[in-house]
Parts: sequence; C-alpha cells; structure tokens
Amino acid sequence: MKKLFFLFSFILSVTIISAQQRTAVSGKVTDKSNLGLPGVTILEKGTQNGTITDFDGNYSLQVSPQATLVFSFVGFQSVEQEIAGRSVINIVLQETTLDLDEVIVVGYGTLTVKDLTSSITTVKNEELVKTPSGQAMQALQGKVAGLQVVSSGAPGASPTVRVRGIGSYPGRNAESPLYVVDGMFFNSIDFINPSDIATISVLKDASAAAIYGVRAANGVILIETKSGSYNQKSEIMYEGYYGMQIAQNVLKMANAEQYTNMALESGSAADASYILNAMQRYGRSRVNPNVPDVNTDWYKEILRPASIQNHGLSFSGGSETATYSIGVNYFGQEGILDMKNEYERFNIRSKVDFKANDWLTIGGNMIFSNAMNYGAQNSAWEQAYFAVPILPVYDEENIAATPVRYASAKNMGYRGSQNPMPTMDYNFNRLKNRKLIANVYAQIDIIPKKLDFKSTYNHSFSALNERNVGLPYTIDDLSGRPLATINKSMSVYSEQSWDNILTFSNTADRHRYTVMAGTSFRDDAYEGLWASGIDFPWQNEESWYIGQAVTKPEDGVGDGGMRQYGFSYLGRISYSYNDRYLAYATFRADGSSKYQEKWGYFPTVGLGWVLSEENFMRDSKLFDYLKLRASWGQLGNDKLPASDGASTTSVVYTAIDDERIAGHKTEDSFSWLKWEMTEETNVGITARMAKSRLSVDADYYIRDTKNAVIGVAIPFTRITVMRNAGVFRNSGFELALNWTDNLANGLGYSLGANIATLKNEVRDLYGQPYLDGGQAEFRQRTIVGSSLLAFFGYETLGVYQNQAEIDADPIAKANNLVPGDFRYKDQNNDQKIDDDDRVVLGSYFPDFTYGFNGGLTYKNFELSVSTFGQMGNKILNRKRGEIIWTNDLNMDADLAKNRWHGEGTSNKYPSSAGLRKGWNQKMSDYFVEDGSFFRIQNVQLAYNLKNVTLTGVKLPDSRISFTAERPLTMFKYNGFNPEVANGIDRQTYPIPAVYTVGLNVKF
Amino acid sequence: MTTILKLNKYLVLFAMLLLVSSCNDYLNEPQENLIYTRDIDYTDTQNMIMPLIGAYADFQSRGWEDIPLIAVRGDDVNAGGLGDQQDYAETDKFKYNKDYWMYNSAWLGLYSDVVGINSAIGQIEQYKQYAANKSLADQYISEAKVLRGFLLLQLSRVWGSVFIPAFSGPVDNTLYTKQQVMEHIIAQMDEAIPNLPDLHPKQRSDIRGGVTRYTALAVKAIANLELKNYQGVADATSQIISSQKFSLEPDFYKLFKIHGKLSNENILEIQYSDFGKGTGDNISHLFAFYGPQNWTPKVAQSGSGWGFFEPSLKYIKFMLDRNETVRLETSVLFTNRGIAEIQKDSKYATLPTFVSNTTRSGDRINDYPRALFASGKHYLPSEELTPGRTDYGTNKNYIVIRYAEILLMHAEALTRGASSSAMTADAAVNLVRARAGLTPLNNVTSAQVMDEKYAELAMEWGIRFYDMVRLERYSDLSYEGRTFNADLIYLPYPQAQVDQIPALKEKK
Repeated sequence: MKKLFFLFSFILSVTIISAQQRTAVSGKVTDKSNLGLPGVTILEKGTQNGTITDFDGNYSLQVSPQATLVFSFVGFQSVEQEIAGRSVINIVLQETTLDLDEVIVVGYGTLTVKDLTSSITTVKNEELVKTPSGQAMQALQGKVAGLQVVSSGAPGASPTVRVRGIGSYPGRNAESPLYVVDGMFFNSIDFINPSDIATISVLKDASAAAIYGVRAANGVILIETKSGSYNQKSEIMYEGYYGMQIAQNVLKMANAEQYTNMALESGSAADASYILNAMQRYGRSRVNPNVPDVNTDWYKEILRPASIQNHGLSFSGGSETATYSIGVNYFGQEGILDMKNEYERFNIRSKVDFKANDWLTIGGNMIFSNAMNYGAQNSAWEQAYFAVPILPVYDEENIAATPVRYASAKNMGYRGSQNPMPTMDYNFNRLKNRKLIANVYAQIDIIPKKLDFKSTYNHSFSALNERNVGLPYTIDDLSGRPLATINKSMSVYSEQSWDNILTFSNTADRHRYTVMAGTSFRDDAYEGLWASGIDFPWQNEESWYIGQAVTKPEDGVGDGGMRQYGFSYLGRISYSYNDRYLAYATFRADGSSKYQEKWGYFPTVGLGWVLSEENFMRDSKLFDYLKLRASWGQLGNDKLPASDGASTTSVVYTAIDDERIAGHKTEDSFSWLKWEMTEETNVGITARMAKSRLSVDADYYIRDTKNAVIGVAIPFTRITVMRNAGVFRNSGFELALNWTDNLANGLGYSLGANIATLKNEVRDLYGQPYLDGGQAEFRQRTIVGSSLLAFFGYETLGVYQNQAEIDADPIAKANNLVPGDFRYKDQNNDQKIDDDDRVVLGSYFPDFTYGFNGGLTYKNFELSVSTFGQMGNKILNRKRGEIIWTNDLNMDADLAKNRWHGEGTSNKYPSSAGLRKGWNQKMSDYFVEDGSFFRIQNVQLAYNLKNVTLTGVKLPDSRISFTAERPLTMFKYNGFNPEVANGIDRQTYPIPAVYTVGLNVKF
Repeated sequence: MTTILKLNKYLVLFAMLLLVSSCNDYLNEPQENLIYTRDIDYTDTQNMIMPLIGAYADFQSRGWEDIPLIAVRGDDVNAGGLGDQQDYAETDKFKYNKDYWMYNSAWLGLYSDVVGINSAIGQIEQYKQYAANKSLADQYISEAKVLRGFLLLQLSRVWGSVFIPAFSGPVDNTLYTKQQVMEHIIAQMDEAIPNLPDLHPKQRSDIRGGVTRYTALAVKAIANLELKNYQGVADATSQIISSQKFSLEPDFYKLFKIHGKLSNENILEIQYSDFGKGTGDNISHLFAFYGPQNWTPKVAQSGSGWGFFEPSLKYIKFMLDRNETVRLETSVLFTNRGIAEIQKDSKYATLPTFVSNTTRSGDRINDYPRALFASGKHYLPSEELTPGRTDYGTNKNYIVIRYAEILLMHAEALTRGASSSAMTADAAVNLVRARAGLTPLNNVTSAQVMDEKYAELAMEWGIRFYDMVRLERYSDLSYEGRTFNADLIYLPYPQAQVDQIPALKEKK
C-alpha cells in the first residue's frame, strides 16, 4: 500500500513538474584546483529532478525558473545555488575535511563520521605526500594526537610508532600497532609507497579497534590504497620529487686543543704520553705548540649530503561497471653515512573492481614491492664520537694498514685503533626484501542496498635475503679483519587470510542501523635458513658466496620455522536514532594455535549523544554540532612469543678432548602464556563551531593492560619465564582543533593544533617490587607506580667546589672525594651514598606532545607549515657513559668546555680527572638528559599550473612544490638528535633535514 | 534467466559458508621447531649420554664473572683499579654492594647450573628404567653429582648459608649452613664414588677428561678441609695419592699452556677448544678478563686482555723473598710500570732476569692504566694460539683441581694431626717444591705448608682466600690498605635474590 502511494505521488510530481515552465541550466563543476569533477549529483531542491556531471565535470539540466540547485559529491561540501535567471552556473566544490557526512573505513566496513562513537583520526593522501620519505608513517609525525612517531634517519627504516603509549613490556617487538592495508594485516608498512595511499586512519580507542580482537591492543592503523571510481575519466599522473638530505644539529665534539687540555688535566701519565706521541708523529700545531698538529672533525669525515628521490606514474579511471588504478613507483634514498648505505624500492600495483552483474561485484588488488637496502654499519657513529681529534684520517707512515693507509690511534699508544673509516669501507650489509601482496574478493548483493555478502582472500608473501660481507683489512699490527667473512640468511613469510563478511544496513523511520557478522581464517608461516663462511676470494662481488669459502663454521648454520593458525568470529552493530542517539558495539572471538588457551573474546560498546540535535541546543549559537562520546572495550595483543606450554629440550655442544660433542639440555621451566588483554575506556567530544569552520575533537582515555606478559624470574636459574602477570596503565588527554576558512579574493587558510598527554604507569608485577632492565651499569628499572623501564640511579646536587665543602660533608670525606667530584643526594639520609639512594630519574616516554600546522592558499599558490614538539622524555647519553670502560677517548665539546676546572667553573660537570673516577661514573642524572624538543616539521610551497597554453598548446595541469622537511629542530640534549626510540643514545642514526623539489603532472 | 542468476547467487553463498566451517581444526597444531621433552624416546638408551654431555656443557659454560668473583678477595690477587666494574674492585677491598650485578650474576650462574645438572640427572633416570646396563646410568648420575657438588661448594664458600636444590621438584625454602652444605657434598661424593670409573680422567675413553672416582675424592677432600675435618681430608687425599694415577707436570710454566690440557696433574678441568682450526667453531672461555690490557704479542693481531686480575705486590714480594723462579715467572706477567713499583722498595732494587715485561714466549706486556701486573696462569702465549685465532687465551683449558693441591691439602692435614700411610707431609710438600726448583724441607710445619700453598696455588679459585678465612688469619687478608674481619667472610646475598626468595628476606 505504502509503495503504491509513493509511486503515485512520484508520478504526480513528475507530471506537475513537466506541466510547469522549464528553463535550461548548464555549467561545470570543479574542485578548488579547477579540475572538472565527474559524477557530481545535481538535484533541483525539493524534487526528484536531477543529473550527474560527465567526465569533465559538465552538466546540463532542465529546471523550473525558481529552482534551487543542490550540488553534492562524496568528500565535498554540498552547495546550494538559486538559479536567479542564470543559464550557466559554474560551481567550485570545497573538499570537506571537516564534513561529518564523510564516510570512513572502520575495519570490515565503513561508517560516517557523524555515527562514530570512537576516536579515529584520518589523514589523507595530500597531507601524506608533503613529507618526502619512503615511509608513510613518517608523515604522521605530529599530526595525530596520541600517536607517537619516532623518526629513523636510516634509509629504508620504518619509524617507531606508538598509539597511546606502550601497553606491553618494551623490547620484545610486541609494542607496535597493527597495520591493515586494504584488509590485510601487517606489522610494518615499509613496502608501501606513500603516494599510493588514499587514507590512513588511526583507530585509537578500544571501540574503534576492538573489531581486530587479539591484534588490536597496540592500536590499529588502517591504510586504504588508491582506487579508481566508477564513471571516472581516465587519468595519467606523474608524481615525483628529488632532493637532498643534510645532517642537522651535528654534535660538536671537542677539538684537538680542547681534547689535549682534557687529557692533560686528567692527571693520567699515559694520556699525556699519547699526546706527546701524537706531536712526535704528526708535529705540533703552529697556533698552539702544545697541541698536536692534527684536528680531525670525525663527524665531518663520516657524513655526506645524500640524495632522496621518488618517481611514480599512475593510471586510474572507471566505466559504469569497472574501476581501475594501476601504477609504478621508484623510491631511492642514500644514507648520510658515507659508505655503501642506500635504499631503493621499486613498486608496481593494480587494483580493479568489476560489476559482473546486478548482484555480483568482483575485484582484486595486487602490490609487488622490490626493495634493496644497503644497511649502515652503525658502529661507525660510535667510533666517530670516540675517535680522538688528534688522530688523522690517513697516515702514510702506517705501513701496517692495508689496503688503505688509514691512521691508527694504537700508533700513539691508545688501546684501540679508533679510526671509523675501515668500518665504513669494508662492510657491506645488503638486504633484499621482496613482497607480494594480493587479494581477490567477491561481493554479492543479496538484497540490493541492504544486505550483502563479501568474501575476500588475501595472501602476503615476502622473501628476505640478507647478506652481510666483511672484507679483510688491517689498520695496525693488532687490529683488523684478517679474513673475509660472509653471513647469509634467507627467510620466507607467507600470511594468508580469508574473510567472509555479511553486512545488513537499513534506515527505517528514525532508526538507522548496520549489522555486520563474519568470520576470518588466518594461516601464518615463516621459514628461514642461514649460514656463514670465512675466507673467500673477495676481490670480485661475483665470488661472495659461502660455497667459495674455506671455512663454513658449524655453529653458523641454522634454520627456523613457524606456522600459526587463527580463526575468528566477528560482528558489529551500529545504530543511530534520529541522528541524536548513537550506539555501537563490536565483538570478536579469536581462536589461535599459538597458545594453550585457544579462544579469546573481545567485546566493545560505544555510546554517542548528539546534543546539538536536541531541542534545547538547536538554537545554540556556539555549536553547530556537538556530540558526546563514550566507549569501553577489551583488546588483545598476541605479538608475544608463542607459548611453549611444556618442558623443552635443546641441543647444546661442549668440547671434550678437542672434539665438539652434542648433548641435551632440558629446561624444566617453560613459558605458559596467552595473549595480553587491554581494557580501555574513552570519553570524548566532537564539535563543530563557528559555522563549521572550527572542529574540535577531545578525548580522555584510560588503557589498562590487565595481564601484561612480564618476565618472572625463576629463582636459582637465569631463566625468566614469560607469564601474563603484569598490569600496566596508559592514560592521557588528547585535543585536536582545526580551523578552515575561505576569504574573498581566492584566499583560503587553515590552522590546526593538537596536543596529547601520556602517563605510563606500572601497577603490578606479579608481586615483584620491580623488574630490572637495561645494562647493569646504566640500570633501567620497571617499578610499580612508575613507568616502564624508567632510568634509575643517583641524583646529583652539583659538584664539590673546594676543600671546605669536602671537609664539611662526611660523605665526601668517607669517600675520599676531591673538589671537582659530584655531590649526590643522600635520599635516605643515612650519611652514606649507596645503592639505596637510587631513585627514578625519568622515562623515555614523552608525557606531552604537540603539533601546530597552518596552510594558506592564494590563487595558484599554496603554503603549508607544520611543527611538532615533545616534552618530558629523558635520553640516556650512553655515549658519554662509555668513559666507564675506556677513559681516554674523545668527548663532546660542551663537556670539554664546561668541565669543572677550578672553583666556580662548573656545577654541572666533574673535572677531567673526576670523569674517570668510579664515584662520578655511577648511573646518575648526569647521564640522563632532557629529551624535549621543538621542530619545524615541514614547510611546503607549491604552485599549481592550470589551463596554461604555451604557443597554442595546452600544457597538462601541473604542480610544482618546494619542501623543507625538518629544517629546524631545537633541543638541549647533548647529542646528535633528540629522537631515540628506546631512550638509549649509543649509535642512533642521525635524522637529517630534507630539501626537495617536486613535480606533479596530470595528463 | 533471473531465476538462474538468483539460484547461482545462493549456491555461491552456500559453498562459501560450507568452506568457512572447515577451518576450525587448525587451532590445535603444535608449535614448530621445538623438541618437547615429553616426546623424547627414553627407550633409545644410546642417547642416555646426551643429558650428561648437557651437564658437562653447563659446567663448562662458566660466565666470565663467576670465577673472578669467587677468587678476587685473596691476598694473592687484586681487581685492577681504574676503569669500569668499580664494585668489583670494591669487593676486592671488602666493601660489598648487595646490588652489584656481578653478585647476582655469579649466584645465578652457579645455581642455574646446579638446577640444570639436577634436570640432567632426572633425564638420565628416565633412560635408566629402559637401560640394559643400569650401572652405566648410575655412573652418569654420579658424574653429574660431582659437578653439582663442586658448584655447591663454591656457592657456600662465597655466601655461607645457601640453598640446596633438590634433585626434583622446587627448591625448598631452607637455608643450609656452610657446615650442612659441606656435609651434604661429602655424603653425595660418598654415594657417587663406588659408581665412578677407577681411572685418571684422561684415561676415560667415552668422555676424556670427565669425572672419575678421583674427582669425587678431590671434591670430598676440599669439603672436609672447609669443615676442618683434617682426617677426612687425609683419607680422601690418601686414596688419590695411593692410586698412583696422578703425577706433577714437570714443567710448571707449560702446565698452564696448551701443553697442560688433560695433563697427568689435572683432576678436574674445564675443557675448551678451537678444534685445531684457525676459523669457525670455537668453544672458549673469556680469558681476556685476566689478560693484560696492552701488549705487543709475538704473533701480530693477537688480542689483548681486560686487565681485571692483578697478582698483588704482596704476593710478588713474598715470592721474591723465597727466591722463587718458575712459579713466579709462571704466575705473573710484569709491566715496566709494575717492575718500577716493585723496585721502589730498595730491598728489591735488583731483580732476577725473568722479571721482565717480555715473557719467555716472546710477548711484550705494555703499560696500561688498570693494573701493574696480569695473571700468568691465565695467559696463553700468542705463539700458542692456533694460527687465525686472535682471542686472548682461546683454546686453553681452565684447570679446576690439580694434583699439587691434593698433595698440599694432604700435607696440611697431616701437619694438623691427621694420619695417613699413603705419603708423609714432608714427601708431599717436597714433591711440589722439587718441581718448583726448591730444596726439600724436613719436618714441615703447618705454616710452611700454607706458604707453599700460597706460592703454588695463587690466582687459582681463591684457594688462598678460603684458606686464610678457615684459619682465621685475617691479618694476612688485611694488606695494602685493606682491613678484614669475620663479618666480611661472606658476600651479602644479591638484592635481586633477596627480593625474590622469602628465606633470604627473613634472614635479613
């Protein structure tokens, strides 16, 4: 009956319309860069009369003279225009970054922003490609509140990514988030070309992530690669940039004069003799005849400006029944370490969808990534730090050095050869990483627009070939590598999954709901094989094979393998009543072969209340939209090692009468594990204010890992077995503000800010008061009530300035201290300084991060700036700590200049002699420094060339851009860079600034 | 047409659902690349030796810090001063730090091997039920017990009251006094002795250099010595001496080099090997810890040491006073700085020619900041390294108990009133002296035996320190600025263990 009525009224309205006077309207719909938008819906308001734009964005329509036209298109703000007598109406649609009707992916489905009850931040392609990097996640640094991205300067290396702190004990490779690329699961997305990504969505809270169940606890990052659209004109696009990476904030080391000074002040006769030896061997400086005539700046010797480039060609488009997007891409990046250190990646991809008939859509997606990485020999960073400035790079008299006459510090009497050059020249670390990911799907519309079924089969297959070669050299009589060495390993990873999803969505009256149910099957396998060889003909790379080696050590051969299965049931309900009340729930049951306990259950619920839809808020001037959100859920983390569950026996070897004999070692202690379970509560608001120009998103969360896997020491053994026994909490507040406005005269601007706080706290350790971590000399301790792996040691109260201060302090007297030694805080006031006076010195987690960004568009110009900063994290300056073991090496200039060398000269650093005393080498806040920094993250200036004709020929639309990535970083830390993922700065690859020129051309 | 299409649609759907439901069985697949102990076939008794080899591997894989911590407190050796591991140097000066990592690590190193050997015994017992030759199983178990006994002995020497992990089940939370631990070890050795082969270790064909009856007797003698049960010492040493299977290596210098591997003198040694090849597999100990930090080796590219084990000036002067030659030359590597330090005392202005910074094997020891001298007993001349090997001391064995110690324990026991028909105290001491090129003594006194032990066994396993503690000769340990008293005999329990083990907490 109802249907009949509809039909009747429809016919009636059409009849009425056609009875009226008609007028023709035509025009072109474009985006802000003046490109025609195909597929834009144009409706005469209040009628069913309408059309869509063609490939070029053109339309024409017959309407009544009083009509108002509504232009709408997914991803753009709708525009209403009265005809007002016009016959041509050209419209520029603005993209809706703030639009609440925007559809975003939420895992096994999509949802509109206004229906969300959870915390999800989405970053789009145009934002991603501003960052010249091979790694997409690098572009998110400072852009998403609650997402910590720690850069890595090494070419090809992924940044460290943390979503809302760390919920798993660090250092086990179990902290990183889950990446879902077009439905496939990954631990890293280093194989993806950033410009192939359409959107990255960070699912931060439990309500958003719980659909990924046992893999969700570290946060989930969804990546959708670019695809074509139906009815889209085919488009050929070149995107590329070329640029240079320049080392930034290069740490100033003590120069020859400062170093000589420190050595002489140390009071060590041996050190003084090395200086003398250097002067005898290399002469005296003419400026200061008491200093050797060598002043090597070792960082300068090992660094180089390094190129970075990216070139991609892509094709996309679609007909009424098919879409396609295919492309090729090359990315190349040299390292700033002056050795064979570079990364190259060649990618091809294709994505197609095809409507086979009125109920069946099929499609597939394929990415092949072929990467070659020559890794840095990171010990060179450390060697350059420690090499004394009075050592030259070359020394022609050092005839023991082959094949190059590099200088050796041993010739001056030092213990080691020190020179970093051989490290860089004679090591070749090659990793080939080839990865194919492929999926096919079939979608069946059971009830059109309401009920559909989608089955997807995914396979990700990677082959990693690693070959590390060390070539022979000598640098003096004692050091070098007499024989060439080669280590090779090959690993194959195969990860398959098969997802079957049934989705029902419906709108009835004021009720709008979507119900999803499905299953997922996983099969993950790994196999590896490795071996090594010593002494092979190394002159030509063709002979770098283990087969050519004289010796193939038995203990260099090994293999590994893993096979794990998983099966899951999952479901979701999202419900909206009158756009006012929102409810959301997901459930996932994950079965795994990894643990003795097979099944884990991960529920979540979320509620939303759109206050701005309530009558009492309708007329609010302040809020255009206001939603309160709350969610709760449980998530799992199964990145931990598989549970052995029973006693195991391994093969061990010992020497008996000069024979290598095998035996068995049985471990009676064994791990008994299951996944970690994290429970998270999130409350937040989403608001649009000031005519929707200002968007506000704020969240507060508490995230408890209820059964974190920690090492439980088995008394009387070195074994710490893994048990689900810890409780960790991360909590924080996140705020993101964005303001966008378009002024007259083609001027538009946007401003954004985001801040996040983080508190990481250990709440239980299976009754153990603490867990020790880190190196014994530089203790990191996980203590209940403090953060994970906090730095732990003594608090300094300055430096004893004179004998009177020593005499007045019984502690100083008892320890035979002298002026120039540290004064430590006697925390327990027992008039002794001992290990009981150690306290927590800080954590490597920043407790406050912030980012600002601004954009300005004027006609064809675009300018954007983003900044990023963090506060509250500590860095262990482990380079300075090396003096504990070897005390005659170089040091940074700040320490050399500001050392204590007489009353009143320093209250911060000990004297040169003091630096070498055990008393001053205790782990203290002298070694643990503030890691706060502020950085100009990215500045980009772009010019868009449109509709330009040159001698009568229309040029393709192009965009030229100039980018400065990380041009300025400000910090106090006495190191190369303040970004150190685990807080221990020993040989961290420095992070360069990048300057590029980019060109996009659309044919 | 539409109907057919619709039918197809549901067929496709149905097929998929059918497939999905078959995926559940995989969840019970076991882990890859593991040997589950429960899967071991104990009826294959040829493998019964495997857990025993595992026990030897445990015993051999001594952490580098274990033995130095056991040995450093005596007046024969110092820690080496400057540089890292300050608390190790402090320990040498009897200033203990319960939080120092080395204490915990040595405790765990020794105990984890005790526990590991217990589990090996459990495994051998599993095989034993299927073994045709049950006495072979008993022999293997007894060998493991001897290794375990030696480790427990070291634990109790360092910490006094310690735990005795039971052969199966968890460790009971009871601290046993040093006396109880020694009694336990003696009882264990008595159980083991009848099952063990009556051979010199090097005469064994299955595990050459492994444990024999005499190893058990030696451990038993040391345990009795700790108890001051001198008759017990004499009884055990007498059996070793009377067997006539052991003799002193004539060349004292060579005993501590490659030549000394599986020597006639060795009763227990930890075996290491590079298998005679210049590259590749190498089972070795970190002798670098004991070596000089700076040297010019005769064979270029040979690695130097870390300088953490420095013979004391007191010991060197003691040896010079006795006109010792080969024993001093063998025990100490001299630097020029060290020689100058000796000569500061005008009494030693003229030194014998072997006191030189160049060893008789042609390696020159250069000055280095950490110490004045390095241990000669842990030194392997660079010319004895297998060509291609560069790690300091690699391929050398670590001697644990040798016949000279047995002879001197025997002599000490007799001078303290024990009786034996195997050998007189004079004869035992003079055997040792003769090898050192010294004239014989008559009617040796306890004091003379102790001096002989000092001269002979310095730098070996803290024998000197535990002798001085046993005899309460604290003034001997109060040397070069140190002060020793009875409260300082034992190291404090490692804090990490106190935090974990209730009995240690209570004891505190």
